[in-house]
Amino acid sequence: MKLKKYLTLTRAGIIEALQFRLATVVMVIGNLLYLIVVYFLWKAIYASAGTDVVNGMTFSDTLVYLVLATALFNFMEMYTVWEIGRSIQSGKIILDLIKPIEYRKYLFWSYSGTFVTQFLFTFLPTFIVVAAVTHGAIHLGVNLLFFAAAVVMAVSINYSIDFLVGTVCLFTESIWGINIMKQVIVLLLSGATIPLAFFPEKLRSVVELLPFAAIYDVPLRFLLWDGISMEPQEPWCMLLFQLFWCLVMMILSKLFWKASLRQITVNGG
Amino acid sequence: MAPIIEIRNVTKEFKVLERREGLWGSVRDLFSRNYKTVRAVDSVSMTIEQGEIVGYLGPNGAGKSTTIKMMTGVLEPTSGQILVGGNIPYKNRTKNAQEIGVVFGQRSQLWWALPLVESFKLLRDIYQIPEKNYQEMLALYQSLVDIEPLLHKPVRQMSLGQRTLSDILAAFLHDPKIVFLDEPTIGLDVSMKAKIRTLIHALNREKKTTVILTTHDMGDVDALCRRIVIIDKGKMLYDNDIDHLKSFFGSYRTLKIRVEGGLKAQAEKIQGELPEFPVTADDEWISILVDEDKAKVIDVLGKLQSSYEIRDMKLEEISSEDVIKKIYEEGVQ
Repeated sequence: MKLKKYLTLTRAGIIEALQFRLATVVMVIGNLLYLIVVYFLWKAIYASAGTDVVNGMTFSDTLVYLVLATALFNFMEMYTVWEIGRSIQSGKIILDLIKPIEYRKYLFWSYSGTFVTQFLFTFLPTFIVVAAVTHGAIHLGVNLLFFAAAVVMAVSINYSIDFLVGTVCLFTESIWGINIMKQVIVLLLSGATIPLAFFPEKLRSVVELLPFAAIYDVPLRFLLWDGISMEPQEPWCMLLFQLFWCLVMMILSKLFWKASLRQITVNGG
Repeated sequence: MAPIIEIRNVTKEFKVLERREGLWGSVRDLFSRNYKTVRAVDSVSMTIEQGEIVGYLGPNGAGKSTTIKMMTGVLEPTSGQILVGGNIPYKNRTKNAQEIGVVFGQRSQLWWALPLVESFKLLRDIYQIPEKNYQEMLALYQSLVDIEPLLHKPVRQMSLGQRTLSDILAAFLHDPKIVFLDEPTIGLDVSMKAKIRTLIHALNREKKTTVILTTHDMGDVDALCRRIVIIDKGKMLYDNDIDHLKSFFGSYRTLKIRVEGGLKAQAEKIQGELPEFPVTADDEWISILVDEDKAKVIDVLGKLQSSYEIRDMKLEEISSEDVIKKIYEEGVQ
């Protein structure tokens, strides 16, 4: 069976992730510290604004948005660029290339086990805490179904972007700068660091059309959607928008990889 | 039967950036770059039959790894043809992958944090090995080496020897037609080397797997290969039986003697008396490489005995290591 070929990688990823208990603990703590910083930063912003509602979002709206964005980030961040760069530098990539699986898929599924563990250990707890603390900020209804669909596509778009950037490492043979640049751009333009509602009107109208918005902003809007405030066709438009970028980025990253592979010269001939 | 690997006039060229020297040079490199074409493999041809073990030898940087990478499909040859099991490797990389197994001595394809058996299960699913074949293979492994204690040990806790052994087993797991072993015994102790050689030999015999072995260890070659291919600076120097090579150099023997007095000084004196044979000295022995076509060893010894007090002597057949060293240095005429 074909699927088994991939799911076995997921399974191994879960086992692998569970081997490192300390790493999980450290990550949860680091996550917590970041959230504290976010809390005080935005508290100060709202205090200096002098009003309760800034750009149509209250303090608790913003906070819920950013907390969930962080949780989503932890869940979706795949360190693909880092992984590709490192295996290029060490030459390990040869061993991956001579597996009877397409490299792009191999890498994705190798990482997919972490999705499961991250979902259970960081996203779900954060979600439950936020839902309980704010009672009512998160509507529990059909929006969760939309959210689930949106996350699946967000993961795919995020991976395609990562893979595209990772492929650049074939040419530069350096990782750090590229990775940081990618991270900053994605996090900023996707609304993970500052809600897109806070962007200047003109910039926002552009950014909302980019694939980055489809990664964090769309799923989060579904999550915070109360199930009534949107026009009936709007959720479907958002999903279509995601699907569009999902396909475009997938095709782009595949083509770029294919073209790049022809150029590959692996270290230590 | 058609040969399993066919290589015809394969050449691989790399473009290498030539950097200028110094600070000013580095600045100029930012704007204009000079590329130099390096020919890593230069019209190499060979055919390899199913079930052979071929030793692929050459000094560092000779182009061995490049050839292997071309056979695995990671690199595309600049010109020439490669057929591996009927496939063009770089065009059908995924299909080719099913037919080959690879071990690189310095890196591992195993999952670092997982017990070995998990890596095996992963490979079973990735290569889609039927359960029956998988179990048979494990049984075969168990009969060849005692893998039971290794199976449940995480790879990161293994010694280098255990890890290499596991990597070799992993490469053979999907019963590939060809296995490439790139310096499999590097850094291992003598007993582990012997164990790994026995294993490779047994797997080759049991499964009729073709093995391409690159190594710098002549022990590997002597123990495993009937045929060797030697490459240097991208060019093929030799492709034939190992015995043929030995017979080619067979008339050479090394006479080792120990005499009174400083060995270095005495060696120079002897060299003066025997100008036709190279004489070298180390801490223990003075070695004289005698060409028996020119003079019998016994005559040389007699000549030396008249003027030196020889305390000890021994005679060595030339080893393939010396032969290959000679080829590296002078080439086959």
